[in-house]
Amino acid sequence: MNNIYLPQLVKITKIIEQSPTVKSFRLEKIGGRFEKDKDGLVFKPGQFVMVGQIGYGESPLGPSSSPYEDKYIEIAARKAGTVTGYLHSLKEGDKITLRGPYGNGFPLDFMKGKDIVCATGGCGIPPIAALVEYIIKNKENFGRVYVLYGAKTPDEILMKDKIEEWKKEGVKIILTIDKPDKNWKGQVGFVTDLIKEIDIDEANAVATMCGPGPMMGALEKVLRPLGISDRRIFVSMERKMQCGVGKCQHCTTGKKYVCLDGPVFNYDEIEKNHD
Amino acid sequence: MLIIKTEKIDEFLEELKTNFSVFNIGGSLSDGGMSFKKYFFPPVEKIFSKTSTSNVEVMKAPKKFILLGLDLPDLEALTYLDEIMQNPNEDFFYLQKRKQSVVIGLTAENIDTAPGGDIVFQDVGETKYRVWENTAKGKKLIKKYKRFFEESDINAGADSDGAPQIPNNESLGEWSRSMRELLLDSEFLAKAVEWSRDHPIWDELGKKCLGCGICTYVCPLCHCFSIEDSVGLDDKCSRCRKWDACTLPDFAKIAGGHNFRPSIKERYYDWFYHKFVRGYNEYGKSQCVGCERCKELCPAGIDIYEILSVILKDYKKTLAES
Repeated sequence: MNNIYLPQLVKITKIIEQSPTVKSFRLEKIGGRFEKDKDGLVFKPGQFVMVGQIGYGESPLGPSSSPYEDKYIEIAARKAGTVTGYLHSLKEGDKITLRGPYGNGFPLDFMKGKDIVCATGGCGIPPIAALVEYIIKNKENFGRVYVLYGAKTPDEILMKDKIEEWKKEGVKIILTIDKPDKNWKGQVGFVTDLIKEIDIDEANAVATMCGPGPMMGALEKVLRPLGISDRRIFVSMERKMQCGVGKCQHCTTGKKYVCLDGPVFNYDEIEKNHD
Repeated sequence: MLIIKTEKIDEFLEELKTNFSVFNIGGSLSDGGMSFKKYFFPPVEKIFSKTSTSNVEVMKAPKKFILLGLDLPDLEALTYLDEIMQNPNEDFFYLQKRKQSVVIGLTAENIDTAPGGDIVFQDVGETKYRVWENTAKGKKLIKKYKRFFEESDINAGADSDGAPQIPNNESLGEWSRSMRELLLDSEFLAKAVEWSRDHPIWDELGKKCLGCGICTYVCPLCHCFSIEDSVGLDDKCSRCRKWDACTLPDFAKIAGGHNFRPSIKERYYDWFYHKFVRGYNEYGKSQCVGCERCKELCPAGIDIYEILSVILKDYKKTLAES
């Protein structure tokens, strides 16, 4: 019998300090590569993995690396609780545990042939990063691609290297900051003015969102005014998770399980999923 | 048909004890109201351990054991919990223990099929029990101990159609019977509980419920759990699975402090929602068997039958008006 709770050991081969509170970790499978599905993906962008260690616990985290990369998976964690605190204490070469990938991921087939607006904030960027990597690899299948990324301060913008690479690939990046410093020349906050910078065919566009509270600002001030209807908006939701596989009941919302039916939900159906 | 005489049961059990660990459930309110579920899904169980240099070690299954005395609601609950633990994926640690067990039910109700377990003893009066062999595992055990069993005619008092006249001893109490009658229409219960979300009864219950979790611990079907890790002083780290309760304050609280269900009212409704709406949605029946444990053991005296009755009455009224 397959043991759904048994994690595999993986080795940390690279740690990058992304911001004062966030580190990213490159994880390699010991003695091999990660398994790919029939489409050549190690995970679907928007899916999550359970990362942790026996003795400390597990956290659900969305991988940020390209889903086509099978040599490693990259995750990013803000120091927030026991598990992420433990992760922050580790060094390259240490081993941790990994389960997954779990959940549904973004609706890649539905998104095909459409303009894409990805809205994200703070440390919600990893699953969006994996999605952007996927889109770049399948450029011919997508229209225009925008990434709206908000952070509290310029210091808290994560994955700056990746963002530069995406720009070179033709992805349009709009960064916004809540509290600018004197060097900041970009946008401040998710404001209605951002619409002017976005040129999409709203009837044939899909928006994806992942991030904390300020995302609602992005939704109200940008996505809705752009004319993207709720059923074309997909949100990655956060809930307490323990098992990740639909057993423990912690992440339920109405009739849905965030770990099985989500974490990506159509904005249209979220209202029906009461808490 | 196969029977066992009352006087043979004790001998049979003594014989079983020489080969297996035998645990007797003995009625829904014995053992502090704990149901059979703790034998397959313990309140706390270590599932993994590891040292700083070793691989992850998986806890081994217990030795073969016999679980005895599950009554009709508990047998139904066991069948249902088996289904829950096998869908949508198999729960390794539950099934690992389930595989090691032989479950013997005991009922005086007039059943026409075994509702669950491997063997069921049905009290048919005249100091006899009809023996239902429900699974291959059950059959094997009976074969091994066949000297305690015999073929017998219990149709002594058959009516003109030849159907056996088995007395219905009505071993279940009145509350269980009423509750089980409501459960017959799980679909209607699901609609009513879903409809009741804004019903004032949840405000009242939010004040009355102590949020202690006892109802979920004694429920043979509640199966929420949390996973807790600990670091030992001897370099041995472990991961435990522990019962959790959706009525407890931190059930939906995430790292960083946000709580998705901060009030007792929301959490209590969620308990009902799982039992009667989500449970029905997933398995086509309410996650309740009318065992009466939650009603008997709630320190605040909450009676789920009363709550459902109020909701159903108002729901029917609303339906009639619309």
